[in-house]
Amino acid sequence: MMTTIAGRLSQAFLLLLVMSVIGFAGIHSVGNPVYNIVNIETATAEDIRNATIALGLDQPLWRQYLLFMGNVVTGNFGKSYIYHLPAFGLIMSKLPATFELATTAMLIAAPCGTLLGLLAGRRQGGMLDRAILKTSVFALSIPSFWLSMMLILVGAIAMGWFPPGGRGATLSLLGQEWSFLTLDGLRHLALPAMALAIPKVALIARLARAGTIEVESQDFIRFCRAKGLSPRRILFRHTLPNISIPIVTIVGMQFGGMLAFAVVVETIFAWPGVGKLLIDSIQLLDRPVVMATLTFVAVAFVALNALVDLLYAVLDPRVRRSA
Amino acid sequence: MKADTLRALWKYPRQYRLSLSALLLAAYVLVALAAPLVVPQNPYDPLQIQAWEASSPPGTMGGGGYIYLLGTDGLGRDIVSTIAYGLRLSLLVAMTSTAIAAFIGLVLGVSAAYFGKWVDAVIMRIVDLQLSLPTILVALIAIVTLGPGVDRIILAIVIVQWATYARLARGVALSETGKPYLDAARLLRLPTWRIIFRHLLPNSIAPAITLIPIELGHAVALEATLSFLGLGVPIDKPSLGSTVANGFQYLMTGQYWISLFPGLALFALIASINFVGEDVRRRLDPRSRSHDV
Repeated sequence: MMTTIAGRLSQAFLLLLVMSVIGFAGIHSVGNPVYNIVNIETATAEDIRNATIALGLDQPLWRQYLLFMGNVVTGNFGKSYIYHLPAFGLIMSKLPATFELATTAMLIAAPCGTLLGLLAGRRQGGMLDRAILKTSVFALSIPSFWLSMMLILVGAIAMGWFPPGGRGATLSLLGQEWSFLTLDGLRHLALPAMALAIPKVALIARLARAGTIEVESQDFIRFCRAKGLSPRRILFRHTLPNISIPIVTIVGMQFGGMLAFAVVVETIFAWPGVGKLLIDSIQLLDRPVVMATLTFVAVAFVALNALVDLLYAVLDPRVRRSA
Repeated sequence: MKADTLRALWKYPRQYRLSLSALLLAAYVLVALAAPLVVPQNPYDPLQIQAWEASSPPGTMGGGGYIYLLGTDGLGRDIVSTIAYGLRLSLLVAMTSTAIAAFIGLVLGVSAAYFGKWVDAVIMRIVDLQLSLPTILVALIAIVTLGPGVDRIILAIVIVQWATYARLARGVALSETGKPYLDAARLLRLPTWRIIFRHLLPNSIAPAITLIPIELGHAVALEATLSFLGLGVPIDKPSLGSTVANGFQYLMTGQYWISLFPGLALFALIASINFVGEDVRRRLDPRSRSHDV
């Protein structure tokens, strides 16, 4: 088991390395960041040349790449062209906001989705099942940016229940600022968390429904019924543990996805997280930050997948024994 | 129509029913094809746009002699017309990229199964990595690498989607490789490309058909998202996604119609594609009927 995970990890990192070469060459062929740094109207040719040298852009591309990789190994992604701060530190300072948002959304989505899936799968083809299935297709079809905007329109502009954007008041804990510790922060958190959670509820519900249908048709559930256990006990004590593996997988993957997918939601709600940083940096041609963010998210995702694999062993004794 | 056909229609409506979503999708395609004929304005033509009519609410009588049924956007473009022309671009991008992705994915997947060894290893490792990363991340990496433009968007979506087809086609093709007709083709000394394209590929294609509508829905959503983020189609030729994006800044000041209606059109488009896709899968794959995800 451990060797499989190690093998898959090393393969993944090899591929990430290849991707970094392609990505590096590509990102350096788009635009010239110097023009975003000097004042185009007043800059002389001298200024532009000096800025190019200062950013290291006068070097040949392969040397820039080697320099970049050499720095990455030591955890240094270079300095942001715009903020003049270390790129990696910049990401780390934005990470708590994204993490907080994704966690809140998942804490809403996982229980709601599982519960809806269990209820739908218990009576396959029934009214509730069909309603949940239909609604889930709609929920998965809403473009997330439009969903976010409509949440702002209804929740913030029309009704005025929630603020339309920003993080609100924060409280310091473990050296980081957190919104969920204050009432104002929670109100700011509500709409973006809902925007992230709604499609995930649908996804998890569909998966839980499929699992429930499969498990409920098995002999041990029939035996439970014959024993006279209450339907609720069967559902939560016998069916739920047996459908937990695919659900944990999807929750893990989607959580990683949210760290990346939050791009859209964060941009709309002006939530100062990693996703907003990425989009802003792409638009400002802030190459070190773009490279650092993409690398960070990709590596985090590969690591998260390995973690999910390990969780299987904890959850399912059968996986543990076969290893 | 004969009486028993009518009775069958009545008795088994689910089998004969032309679903609402299929009708809606057909209407969408028609509007997209005939956009210049059915809407009053060409929103890409600056001469037809009156700047002083910007942000008119729905139902305003315009200077051009027609009513702005859904209002105008921040530049004075008629929303109905913008939706129709945006739909054109959105569908064009999504259909082109889905077709190319399906073709490339199927060919690579089948080739992986046919050649085996290192070809298989290389292709499938890329597939595995790509499918383990979230699509928006792959798309962002692709678009950052490729730069903006309609052709680049198509390419980015192809890069995102080919892997799904490749994995499916490889699985099917693997179970085909042991069959006698392929041995026969090899014994006839047919050239490799002929075996792959004329024998293996046609026999491995069926399961992929159920994938196409689902991926088409994803492609529409992905293009819209990228355009919304300002990384997609050019500003002067808005797709549905960038039309919604243009309306975002007006949302706060109460001009909700600029983003509400194009977004609604986009939502209905994706939903109808998804419902049709689900229908197609149910009909073609009986196994999925009982427990579909």
